[in-house]
Amino acid sequence: MSLCISYDSSFDGFLSAVFEIYSQHLDVESFVPDRDTGATGDLFQQNFRVETNDESASRLRRAVVNYAGDDVLNLLYAAFLSEEPGVEMKILAYLRKLFAGDDPNFAKNVASTEMLPLYKLAYSVRHEAGGLLGMVRFSKAPGNFYVSKIDPKYDVLLLIEPHFRNRFSNENWVIYDERRKYALLHDRTGESRVVTLPDATALTDAIQSDSFTQLWQDYYKSIAIKERENPKLLRRCLPVRYWKNLTERQTVCVPAL
Amino acid sequence: MDVREKLNILSAAAKYDVSCTSSGSRRSAPPRGLGDACPAGICHTWSSDGRCISLLKILLSNACKYDCAYCANRRSNDIPRATFTPKEVIDLTLEFYRRNYIEGLFLSSAVVGSPDATMERLVKVVKELRTVHRFGGYIHLKSIPGASEKLLHEAGLYADRTSVNIEVPSERSLTYLAPEKNYASVYAPMNYFAERKIEYGGSRGRYTPNFLPAGQSTQMIVGASGETDFQILTLSAGFYRQQRLKRVYFSGYVPVNADKRLPALTTKPPLLREHRLYQADWLMRFYKFDYDEILDAKHPNLDLNLDPKAGWALRHPEFFPVDLQTADYEMILRVPGIGVKSAQLIVSSRRYCKIRLETLKKMGVVLKRAKYFIYHPDIPAGVRQFYPEMIRPLLLAPSKTQQLDLFDSTPLLLPSAPATTNSLPSVFPSTNVIPAKAGISLPKPHLLAAG
Repeated sequence: MSLCISYDSSFDGFLSAVFEIYSQHLDVESFVPDRDTGATGDLFQQNFRVETNDESASRLRRAVVNYAGDDVLNLLYAAFLSEEPGVEMKILAYLRKLFAGDDPNFAKNVASTEMLPLYKLAYSVRHEAGGLLGMVRFSKAPGNFYVSKIDPKYDVLLLIEPHFRNRFSNENWVIYDERRKYALLHDRTGESRVVTLPDATALTDAIQSDSFTQLWQDYYKSIAIKERENPKLLRRCLPVRYWKNLTERQTVCVPAL
Repeated sequence: MDVREKLNILSAAAKYDVSCTSSGSRRSAPPRGLGDACPAGICHTWSSDGRCISLLKILLSNACKYDCAYCANRRSNDIPRATFTPKEVIDLTLEFYRRNYIEGLFLSSAVVGSPDATMERLVKVVKELRTVHRFGGYIHLKSIPGASEKLLHEAGLYADRTSVNIEVPSERSLTYLAPEKNYASVYAPMNYFAERKIEYGGSRGRYTPNFLPAGQSTQMIVGASGETDFQILTLSAGFYRQQRLKRVYFSGYVPVNADKRLPALTTKPPLLREHRLYQADWLMRFYKFDYDEILDAKHPNLDLNLDPKAGWALRHPEFFPVDLQTADYEMILRVPGIGVKSAQLIVSSRRYCKIRLETLKKMGVVLKRAKYFIYHPDIPAGVRQFYPEMIRPLLLAPSKTQQLDLFDSTPLLLPSAPATTNSLPSVFPSTNVIPAKAGISLPKPHLLAAG
């Protein structure tokens, strides 16, 4: 009977699961991360729980780096963050072929059937993370805190963290992922840390507009050249799903195409 | 006048400056300071005309003493004038930056008093931002033609990028449209910066200043005077080669002033031409094309219906079809429809496997145009021929068919030839004569949006 592996949705948890698959010769059909709480298990599959084990995760990381290199490990991580259903099986298929070692060129061949879907997923995830660097909008909250709310399609908060840590190291700020209900907290004295916030009303209430919000909205309107208006291009560059958290798009109604 | 009013006036006055990039500079945040610079550049939002906004783009003042025909801020225009104090600009920049609205500051100014006095005010703002407020974000500073070298040098120490606009692509038109300006005064700061960059760029020692890390750019108006695309590309290729500019911007002329020296106020901005020029510019900067390959004296203007790369490919059938398995990277880049990313993907994966049509599709290579210019193992050897005259019509976008209006009041009639109606004998009753005006109007050429 094939197995359905449940793990704690983290990358380390997934790596621990892969480690167990190898060490116990498991026959795996699918993975169920803990975030899919409502998922109904397959009737013909047996559930198998794997707890995260830092040591086995780091051993597997080392193995991937030795076989394929740093950038492949990063690519797998980025693809994993897409949270796409079934991405775990794709990564597992890649790792199986990588560790089998039949093809010495396999590790870096982007066009292979195992690598290409992961490459594309990682590309989308990194694309969203890159775009989001500019699209996080902070509001000033009482207590000299800057608060921001994002709703990215992929789980990119940890990918954008270093950027904001370097840029605003002397400020206190929070970025809250409303879809995944967790936040990144940085205060000017210490390091950033990740906090889970199931109820974030206190945080979202702190997002207020002030005079600079108004100035920014004014600026946004007056910088556009009317003769060159192009709603289609705007939507391509700035997808509508980001608008709800962008200060400058709040006062503008959706232009009809 | 409060800050809000000033911001409205002075940002609207700056909107015709195209440059809004924040790339090319790497700086980590200064100790106890605010902000860094990211070499890739970051767009923070897009305005409703689809242009990226990454910098707070404002003029320090719009009370200009010059009277250039094409400029919205010229002396003879009756518009509200405003001037920021340095503190207002600094506050706006820092507060916007902390809220992650912007990547930095783009500061320009109309010429108020002498060029030196104007430049001094600009440099003062930037210097204060960098030294007093320890601002590490991106700063684009306009340099004023005619400013002294001492001020220019100081500007180079604090700004990431500087620009002087060449405005019009030939000196004759410039002196005609802007009598107070000439090419020499524009080239002087450009050359000064180019020389200093070479001087400081050779070996970076501990005390060598990080002089203008993101280089220089310039901008020219397209469609306000009669220059050909070949002249424009020649000029910009010269800038890239000699002054080592990072970017040359083209700005399709938006009629802002009624002036007999310029196109009428009702003229639409030449967006498609601007788009083609940018495509040609990209070919020069990323696709290793030379300006005289894209156009030459025989073909002085870009084909508006076809992108410049496809135009080049059709004029040079001897290079095609290209074998993706063995061709150089440079040659794969020259295939219409294949960009830098696809070319790199092909080159990196062809070492491990054969590139088949199916592989290309899976990689996401856009084959719409590329398929006519490449061959791969799935095409039989006998068909590997390239006929430009057959491919050209396939590349041209089919014109949009027009949906006819059901409730149109004018009767639907076939296009008539007025000559035949005239030759009809007069015995025919006049009611039967088909009105010459009615008929199906031709679809308008589809205008592409400029990026």
